[in-house]
Amino acid sequence: MSRNQEEPVYNRIEEARLAHGLSRQELADKVGVHYQTIGYLERGEYSPSLALSLRIAKLLKQEVSELFSLTPFKKGK
Amino acid sequence: MSKKNKFYWFEGVTEKGAKALLSDENPKYGWLRPQRNRRVLVGLMIVGLIAVAMGSYWPTLKTNMNLSSGTEIVIYSVTAIFVIFAVLVGYLFLRISVRGIGDAPNELLDERQIRVRDTSFRYAYYAMGYVVLGLLLMMLFGPELKMFQPEGNDGSYLVIATLFAFSSIPSMILAWRERDI
Repeated sequence: MSRNQEEPVYNRIEEARLAHGLSRQELADKVGVHYQTIGYLERGEYSPSLALSLRIAKLLKQEVSELFSLTPFKKGK
Repeated sequence: MSKKNKFYWFEGVTEKGAKALLSDENPKYGWLRPQRNRRVLVGLMIVGLIAVAMGSYWPTLKTNMNLSSGTEIVIYSVTAIFVIFAVLVGYLFLRISVRGIGDAPNELLDERQIRVRDTSFRYAYYAMGYVVLGLLLMMLFGPELKMFQPEGNDGSYLVIATLFAFSSIPSMILAWRERDI
C-alpha cells in the first residue's frame, strides 16, 4: 500500500443509529457535524477522525472497536 | 438578548450568512444541488469569465468597433456591464450550490467539510497559477499583438476577470468534484 493511500474503514454507524431511533440529522446535531457527513460515514466514503469516532461511539453507547473496523463486519454480528 | 453576528474578516463572510448558506435547505435552490447542474454552472462561469477577459480586446479585434463613436461606446459599455453582472449572479449561484463551503471559516465547518474545502483550495492554488500565467502572458504580449484598444483600455477587463476567477475557483472546483453537497 502506498504511503498516502487511504485505507477503508468499515463501520456499523447506520445500524447502531437506527437501533437508537435516531435520524441522520439528530445524530449529526449530537456529534456536531453536518448531516451529510453522517451519510458519507455510513456509506464508508469518509473515514472519521479519532475524536469524531469516539464521540459517535459514546453517543451510540458502543466501543469504538464495535463500530469501526479495518475489515468488513460479518452480517448479523 | 440579541446574539452578535460575528464578521470573519479573512473570509469576508458573516456568521449568520455562512450558517444560512451551510444549512440552506431552501427548495428554491434545489435545482443547484445535483452535480450535473453544478457542473453546467461551472461551465457557464468559465464562459462568463472568458467573456469578461475578452472585453479588453474584442472591440478592436473581433468587431472593429469604433470607440470614438458615442453609440458604440454605449453598446460596448452596456454589454460589458451585462456580462460582468451575469458573472456576478453566476458567482452567487455557485456559492449557494456548494453551500458556501469554499468561503466558510473553519469553526463553522465539520472535519469532512474542512477536508473537502482544503482539497479544493489545493487544486484552486494550481489553477490560479495557470490563470496568473495566462494573465501575465496576455499583458506581456497583448500590446505587441495589438490585442487591446489603442486608447482607453489597458487590459483592465483581464484584471477584473482574474479577480472574479480568484474568488470563484475554489467553489468551482468544489461544485465540479463533490458528489453530494
